[in-house]
Amino acid sequence: MSNPITKDRRHFEDLTVGEVIKLGERHLSKDDIISFAKQFDPLPFHLDEDVAKKSLLGGLASSGWQTAGFSLRMLVDEFLNKVAGMGGLGFDNLKWKRPLMKNDTLTGTVTIASLRRSHSHPRMGIVVFDFDMRNQNNQEVMTLSLTNLVEVRDPSAPFEEDAA
Amino acid sequence: MTLWFEDIDSETVWPLGEYTFTEDEIIHFAKQYDPQYFHVDPEAAKHSHFGGLIASGWHTVSVGHKVMVDFMYAHDDMQRANGEEPGVSGPSPGVNKMEFKAPVRSGDTIRFDLKVKNKRKSNSLPGWGLLTSIISAYNEQDELVYRSEIASFSKLRDYKPKLKERVLLAMAAMPVFRKLLRK
Repeated sequence: MSNPITKDRRHFEDLTVGEVIKLGERHLSKDDIISFAKQFDPLPFHLDEDVAKKSLLGGLASSGWQTAGFSLRMLVDEFLNKVAGMGGLGFDNLKWKRPLMKNDTLTGTVTIASLRRSHSHPRMGIVVFDFDMRNQNNQEVMTLSLTNLVEVRDPSAPFEEDAA
Repeated sequence: MTLWFEDIDSETVWPLGEYTFTEDEIIHFAKQYDPQYFHVDPEAAKHSHFGGLIASGWHTVSVGHKVMVDFMYAHDDMQRANGEEPGVSGPSPGVNKMEFKAPVRSGDTIRFDLKVKNKRKSNSLPGWGLLTSIISAYNEQDELVYRSEIASFSKLRDYKPKLKERVLLAMAAMPVFRKLLRK
């Protein structure tokens, strides 16, 4: 029962540890910040430029969750929509290092940090992605390690550690 | 949290509230932030191992954050109505761990709660404490949808700055010095 959506995409077997995915760029406007904040993070320093200037952030900055969302979107465009993805298990060590301010441009790289087959679900491969997100001045904005599932093309293949 | 650092305990579980997800909202969020086929296309999603459309985990987490912020505002109002001054919460430096445990589908009502796991005074920000909070989300079958461990700052009520810091703060408040500091 092959999945017609993903059958021609890269599968778990096609990935290698150390593969670096260069992300695109996302410019952040005042409207972007305020529209996300209204829906998900309605704190005064994400909604009102005057309040933001006097806050710890020093100006209008995006919600950390919006920065995370833009980063994920860029990985979907460059990578996750080109592989047989099966969703995510979660993430570890998300660090917001510097706020993403109005008119900043977000970019970065993602590196495949580890690959292993799931023993309980032989169809599933577990992939850890390390994010290194930067602004236009190459300053660190956010890091995190995302754990996602990618489909194994041949679930009957022996596990590498078993084969060795 | 809307409590002062000193008043926060690690026993209380705070029921933050709940939210019902619709198909339109799931697709709208995913088109912007997570356009994988099982988040944006109900027909294509039937071919996935989920068997249908599910919300992006990042959507569920963002909604959980909104529910928490709304809870904080309501709690502030309640404290003011009782003649108390609400505490002050600060920015979050990060998330130690986020585990997505069960998918969210259109029509699901998810409830969120928060428990402070531990607290300590901040080394980097004088006058502030650092909290580690567990935020959990459950569906109507009481299955765990996600569990997260989030760090955040909370202001100390009883903080007395050291003499040197008090002098600096007082100087910073004087117009002459403020002009100098700006330069």
